Amino acid sequence: MSQLLPVLILAIFIITFGCAMMLVSSLISIKAKKPDPVKDETYECGIPSDNSGDTKISIKFYLTAILFILFDIEIIFMYPWAMTYGDFIAAGYGVYSFCVMAFFLAVFIFGLFWEVKSKALEWE
Amino acid sequence: MGIDVFEIGVNFVKMIAIFLMMVQIVPLLVWVERRGSAYIQNRLGPNRVGPLGLMQLAADAVKFLTKEEFVPKRGYPFLFYAAPVVAMVPAALAFGAIPLSSPVMVEAFEWMGQHWGPYSFKFQGYEIGIGIVFVLGVSSLAAYGVLLAGYGSANKYALYGALRASAQTISYELAMGLSIVGVILLFNSFNFAEIVGAQSAPMNFMLFGKKVELAFLPNWGIFYQPLGAVLLFSAMFAEANRLPFDLPEAEGELVAGYHTEYSGFKFNMFFIGEYGHMLVASALMVTFFFGGYTLWPWLTPETVAKWFTGMSLTQTSLLTALVLHGVFLAKVVLFLWIFIWVRWTLPRFRYDQLMDLGWRTMLPWALFNTILTAVVILIMRHPWGA
Amino acid sequence: MMMEAIAFYMLAGFLIFFSYKVISVPNPLHSALYLVLTMLGLASAFFNLGAQFIAGVQVIVYAGAVMVLFVMVLMLFDLKTEIRSFSRGLISGALKVMSAALIAGLALGGARSSVTVLDAPAGAAVPGDVTRQLGILLYTKYLFAFEILGILLLAVAVGVVAVSRMKGGTHARH
Repeated sequence: MSQLLPVLILAIFIITFGCAMMLVSSLISIKAKKPDPVKDETYECGIPSDNSGDTKISIKFYLTAILFILFDIEIIFMYPWAMTYGDFIAAGYGVYSFCVMAFFLAVFIFGLFWEVKSKALEWE
Repeated sequence: MGIDVFEIGVNFVKMIAIFLMMVQIVPLLVWVERRGSAYIQNRLGPNRVGPLGLMQLAADAVKFLTKEEFVPKRGYPFLFYAAPVVAMVPAALAFGAIPLSSPVMVEAFEWMGQHWGPYSFKFQGYEIGIGIVFVLGVSSLAAYGVLLAGYGSANKYALYGALRASAQTISYELAMGLSIVGVILLFNSFNFAEIVGAQSAPMNFMLFGKKVELAFLPNWGIFYQPLGAVLLFSAMFAEANRLPFDLPEAEGELVAGYHTEYSGFKFNMFFIGEYGHMLVASALMVTFFFGGYTLWPWLTPETVAKWFTGMSLTQTSLLTALVLHGVFLAKVVLFLWIFIWVRWTLPRFRYDQLMDLGWRTMLPWALFNTILTAVVILIMRHPWGA
Repeated sequence: MMMEAIAFYMLAGFLIFFSYKVISVPNPLHSALYLVLTMLGLASAFFNLGAQFIAGVQVIVYAGAVMVLFVMVLMLFDLKTEIRSFSRGLISGALKVMSAALIAGLALGGARSSVTVLDAPAGAAVPGDVTRQLGILLYTKYLFAFEILGILLLAVAVGVVAVSRMKGGTHARH
């Protein structure tokens, strides 16, 4: 049977627990006596909520997320290398394996250096 | 295939045990956190309900359950309810993949007129061959609970808090992922059991192609990867949104961040998620750098088996596994206490300092650590003259 | 064998259901969340095929990074429901059917010309070994592609920063 079945079972446990607890809570919780429109508003420190939808968000958040994806892929590619590095060394190809990653890392470091230099990662 | 009712039953019990550990650690940690913070701040903390205030946990649970259910009028009810549940899942799944003790063998036996066995059970939720990648992948899903909470509440501050939280989580995931590369380089494996096994020995390494053994130190990762350990631990703080990285819920700026609109048990579930991340972080630190469930030379499967000579104990008996599980828990508790200690000692960062630290300090240092490890390993393990 | 087949078809059923939901739900955020589920399902399909590392990468990169970006972007636009992008006229309906058929044909043709049925490898492969073999192949036989990928990612990073600096576009102040 698949190794993933227990993972699925554990996930189902957690989700069932969460739903059951919210159900129990909604059954036994103390309910407000009368509906109150002000209480149902979102809590933004008492100021009438202005949720017109044109919330301005700094582009830095997108930039961070996109750069994260790129660097994440590069880091993921280092995992199999790290795993096989010992095998390469044992087979006498350690220098080769090191040079392979050295080139990749040089590109990575150049990219990171460039991002820092261009102040793309600077928050003020 | 050798799957029968007994095996399924044991696996089911294991799932329940993992799940209970996840859920039960939270009230205990909350109590430790409140008493601990009181101790640090020269106060008393909760001490009224029950002995040492321990019944406070039960009182809190009752209070969480009886709080009024509240959904903001403008919010999206489904996402609002789904978010706390989603927040609990990643930590639990990651915790299930970490080995908690040595494997247990069950001899063949006869029961209800049938032959059962022999079985071999892992003392962990489930063994995944690529353990490290699995844990990283699952914990990268942690951003969704936060994002859904921020969006589902339809609250400006919750949205900002969620954005900050997810930007912070993904930024520190880079440093976390990169600092683990050093560990993989060291042990040449993605498998937790192999990593723990390698650390349950006297310190041994290759020095210019010759094998050197230092019998007075255990072969722990911390001696080879001190920088990686520090980077990983700091990144874990940020992943768990703990102080000094708790910008997403900075009260002074964002009311309470992404869980502004949450109350009662839904709020408690975010807590379970946060403490679950702490638990996973501590377990990972122990597994990578502090010998996992072994404590060479006193407590390894071999030595524990020799303790109880009269009881025909073997390396794979349940009792051996339980003793080693105690070792693991003791180490984890130590790290959990460090989490709490740091929270009540260090002040919070500013947001720009936080992002600076993640991208421009920790990431380059993690890179440096990787390169240094690779160079040293190349020089040391290269078969010189062979 | 029977159990594996059942597990596979259940997984396939869920995958098709989720990916259908991705294109059919009106709320773009729900659509993105269904896409996350689709990615996770794909990862488990990879996992069951023995490609454990690829499954992990699928989760880390697609479910954990790309889709987080999508959800973040979608959250910031107040898209209650997707505006119908096509009219419901006869001509556009015909166009839609035709383009769907074209894409399906392309996909089928591509799949048929690129897939060869391999014999099962001798001896059941240990999962760790598959990852190790993948690593060795990646850094020897496919070395060039691997290094080019690094440079491609660098180019993307530079491009992203350049685009984020650009003044103008639809939000320019005139």
